Amino acid sequence: MRRGRGSLIAGALITALFVATALLASVWTPYDPAAIAIVAKLQPPGAAHWLGTDQLGRDELSLLMAGAKASVGVALLAVLVGAGCGVPLGLLAAARPRAIDDLIMRGNDLLFAFPSLLLAILITAVLGPGAAVAILAIGVFNVPVFARVARAAALRIWTLDFCLAARAAGKGAGAISLQHVLPNIVPVLVVQITIQFSLGVVAEAGLSYLGLGVQPPTPSWGHMLGEAQTLTALAPALAVIPGLTIVCFVLGLNLLGAGLSARRRS
Amino acid sequence: MSGLRACRPRRLAPAVMGAMLVAAYSLLAWSRAPAGPLPGASPGMPTRDRVIVGLQLEPPTLDPTESPAAAISEVLYGNLYEGLVRFAADGSAQALLAASWDISSDGLSYVFRLREGVRFSDGTPFDAQVAKFSLDRAIGPGSINPQRARLAALRGVDVLGPYTLRLRLARRSGGLLQSLAGSAFVMLSPASVATNAQRPVGTGPFCFLAWHRGDSIELSRNAAYWGGPVRLAGLTFRFIADPTAAYAALMAGDIDLFSHYPAPESFAQFQRDTRFAVFVGPSESETVLGLNHRRPPLDNLLVRRAISLALDRHAIIDGAMYGYGTPIGSHFPPSNPAYVDLTGRYPHDPAAAKALLARAGFPDGFSLTLKLPPPAYARRSGEIVAAQLAQVGIRVAVRNLEWAQWLDEVFTRHDFDMSIVAHAEPMDYDIYARDDYYFGYVSPEFKALLAALEQTVDPAQRTPLLHAVQEKLADDAVNGFLFQLPWLCVWNAGLHGIGLGGVLEVVDFHAAYFLAGTPPRGADADAVGLSSGAAAGWPSYGGLAFAIAAIGLVLLAGRQLGIAYIGGRVSMLLATLTFATVVVFMLVQIVPGDPAHFMLGLQADPAAVATLRHRLGLDATPWQRYFAWVRGLMHGDFGVSYTYRIPVRALIVERLQVSVPLAVYALLLAMLAALPLGLAHAASRDRRGAVLLSGLTQLGLAIPNFWLGLLLVLVFAIDWRWIAAGGFPGWQLGPWPGLKALTLPAIALATPQAAVLARVLDGALVDTLHEDYIRTARAQGAGEWRILWRHALPNAAIPVLTILGMQFSFLLAGAVIIENVFFLPGVGRLVFQAIAQRDLIVVQSVVMLLIFAVVSVTFCVDIAYRCVDPRVRARDGAR
Repeated sequence: MRRGRGSLIAGALITALFVATALLASVWTPYDPAAIAIVAKLQPPGAAHWLGTDQLGRDELSLLMAGAKASVGVALLAVLVGAGCGVPLGLLAAARPRAIDDLIMRGNDLLFAFPSLLLAILITAVLGPGAAVAILAIGVFNVPVFARVARAAALRIWTLDFCLAARAAGKGAGAISLQHVLPNIVPVLVVQITIQFSLGVVAEAGLSYLGLGVQPPTPSWGHMLGEAQTLTALAPALAVIPGLTIVCFVLGLNLLGAGLSARRRS
Repeated sequence: MSGLRACRPRRLAPAVMGAMLVAAYSLLAWSRAPAGPLPGASPGMPTRDRVIVGLQLEPPTLDPTESPAAAISEVLYGNLYEGLVRFAADGSAQALLAASWDISSDGLSYVFRLREGVRFSDGTPFDAQVAKFSLDRAIGPGSINPQRARLAALRGVDVLGPYTLRLRLARRSGGLLQSLAGSAFVMLSPASVATNAQRPVGTGPFCFLAWHRGDSIELSRNAAYWGGPVRLAGLTFRFIADPTAAYAALMAGDIDLFSHYPAPESFAQFQRDTRFAVFVGPSESETVLGLNHRRPPLDNLLVRRAISLALDRHAIIDGAMYGYGTPIGSHFPPSNPAYVDLTGRYPHDPAAAKALLARAGFPDGFSLTLKLPPPAYARRSGEIVAAQLAQVGIRVAVRNLEWAQWLDEVFTRHDFDMSIVAHAEPMDYDIYARDDYYFGYVSPEFKALLAALEQTVDPAQRTPLLHAVQEKLADDAVNGFLFQLPWLCVWNAGLHGIGLGGVLEVVDFHAAYFLAGTPPRGADADAVGLSSGAAAGWPSYGGLAFAIAAIGLVLLAGRQLGIAYIGGRVSMLLATLTFATVVVFMLVQIVPGDPAHFMLGLQADPAAVATLRHRLGLDATPWQRYFAWVRGLMHGDFGVSYTYRIPVRALIVERLQVSVPLAVYALLLAMLAALPLGLAHAASRDRRGAVLLSGLTQLGLAIPNFWLGLLLVLVFAIDWRWIAAGGFPGWQLGPWPGLKALTLPAIALATPQAAVLARVLDGALVDTLHEDYIRTARAQGAGEWRILWRHALPNAAIPVLTILGMQFSFLLAGAVIIENVFFLPGVGRLVFQAIAQRDLIVVQSVVMLLIFAVVSVTFCVDIAYRCVDPRVRARDGAR
């Protein structure tokens, strides 16, 4: 469908840019993001520091690049946790008799019922804040989403002729799920992965803003926003730039998802 | 069959119109002409007589003899409660309710002559019997008074006459008078002592009016105050934890004064602004890099000295406190006359530090962890200290903890290497004599110095001893002594007569008044601060109505769908809820940190902690607690909050009055935005239009709602002053002030929801537009909009309504961040604060309530969906 093409290209480009930046930041940034130089604090964008410096004299551009690592890393791992646990559960629910299906779906509903942010805060209170805990907290809420999507897509595939034929031939449900169903639901899963990835980026920013995500001195966009709130009179750019970065990245991911989903539909 | 649904749109139209009217009224109430404060005084204005004070932390209780929280003193010390003596500016004791006193030559007997004609606000007269009662209660066997240890030398209190009191000591105590000036030894009325935690009674210039938990405390003038007429009619203390919200509230004129202003980076701005007056005062809070002497290599004197040499105090003060704060070289306040400047003992010298480390046997340095509590000064200083220590080869891993975790890991279990915290108690150098204090510093020489100090009463002889104490601490480099935390105070320039500068860092309002003609607040009303607390709350009635509607729905559905099916679903619902209670309870139990310890704080005495644990029922087994809780839930009894000591249900009802309207408001706004957007997108044939609309939707989805909230506050509240920066004035003045306060938060919440709804609506519309009956309608010549409105929309409405039901439940809980940005006393913020305060009962019950709301709404929506749409019923039946 022509409508999806523009979104797909734009989304893919933006996403690739951010992921590439995150990878680049692992080996090189213009300045060391942890280098504190109080003397040079709160400078506006200029020749030496393209996006200025923050309240401790650290280079803003380097911080943004290093922050991309946190966002991409946490969101991606959370999605993998969710998909890794959710897709097998969904396939199981679709393949098995009613009882197991019901059990898995009830579990799903239970998890959906928990207010996610509050549970994430509780989990960080129990385990202490940090990247691993953020991944767990966000990932836990990806599991029911993937389970539900995988199950719905798998159910549709199960009604197709080649699955019925395989069953008639005596193949086990597990083998059918892996060899026939799974490859056919991959397009749906890919779309869902981009959606959950973008939700994960926003969730990570929210948790970091509350101080519960990636811990300083590791940079993260949400934390930078939190710190910048009271500095708006001194350096308004500090409150705007990280927010814009989040918006751009999420926009790119959403466009990618929309484009992929439009292509799949057509 | 589905074509007949075309008749339904008439039922939607009034609902949509109603929603639009509500929106129109809100916009009307919202868009008044900007009403900023006027540049000069306007003599015709009535003089304001009520001060609104902002403070960061809400007191957990209003009885200072039960809790050491500094917030209690900030609100009530000197304003409501008074003691025998009070602190003078230099830290010595000054007469208050005791007019004068004599000390015997052996220092073992103090005779006080009490002031006559003083009454408590409940009418009880103050005399020696009352004074004896207050002191006996403080030092008695069952007492949980947090400063009990300070009067350890007191053997007994005798009444010598109606206004004469004698204190008998077991040994000399040089600091006795200063101890009596403390907030834990204020005079209490025996008649009202049992309820002081919620309704304090004292002899001061103000008396207690109301406490709206999570929002504010109100005091009103005591007309019969013994110290003369009080000019102000009342004080309101509002709790604003967030530095940005504090800044916004001051700028928008919502509060008149902020003591202990938490955002030093914006302090300079207030200094330059003629609408505000500022005060930078010394304080008794020594900010210290605490070292755990139990952990090698921190037990090595050379290593500790190297750490002190590696620190650059000026860089820390500049970077963390923006220049506010005085460097210190030992554990003593620079404002005290007995202070000696020891900052030169260890100047900033990384080379010397490295040399010392090499001498100590660590030429390549070593690794340490630095655990930091929540306050901004600690977090910011910690980052800088870590960088400075890294320069001399000490690799520091920073860990940020919440207060309860900090108290548990660092303060109680001593599981830390380094930590940064400010010690706020005046004259608290005696902590270095306690072997079990978290530093683990053990020094017989220091204890000898302190013993000598206790024996000395004469100030002239105490001074050289105090010098020796400071030098000893500096010589041993016990901790890294960083800086004295400044007392930053900002207030409206029209407010005069406030008393600042005492060692307890409380503001004295008894002589305060507003200059005639002080301009009114930037936003609406002295309404701010009068939120209703006592109302039984329409949430209870709302809950009842919902229950009745749900039961009716189930019965109706039973007829349509079959009893067996409904029975199955209801039992599934109950199973889900039971499982949820188990999960929530287990999760909450494994949260580390003991509520009792958290409530009693840094100075707590183990006996007091044990008593409190028993009182709170924390020593029952987990099974007992679980069943008691679930039994209570079924009766509607959610337990009693640990921190506030009132029923959780009352707390929830108060908070729901903010959260439910906010959620409804946000949902309405979201629908209003999503409807035209979704319709236009589905209708648009023009490619550019479609791209634009879809771009708008994507943008709405991508903006984090808290960032949007911040931007809205900055533009509308601070720059343009149209709306209050936050807070919630309550409903009793009518709906409009409340709705105005909820508008910005609702917009911030609604934007991503609107994008989601627009997407769902668009998807559902596009699907519907492919149906046969639409093609028929088009063939019959119906216009595109008519088709959308009358045919497509009603059918698309069903999936949208399903989503709406779930969105509402998530909005209730998910508004935590927004409630923090706008300081709204809602349910999300209640849980967030309760987790930080380890108020487990509140966390359990509120999370369970929210889960119940989500699960039951989903259940009802699901049942309704099946009743209404026969296609779903059929599809499901075929499985």
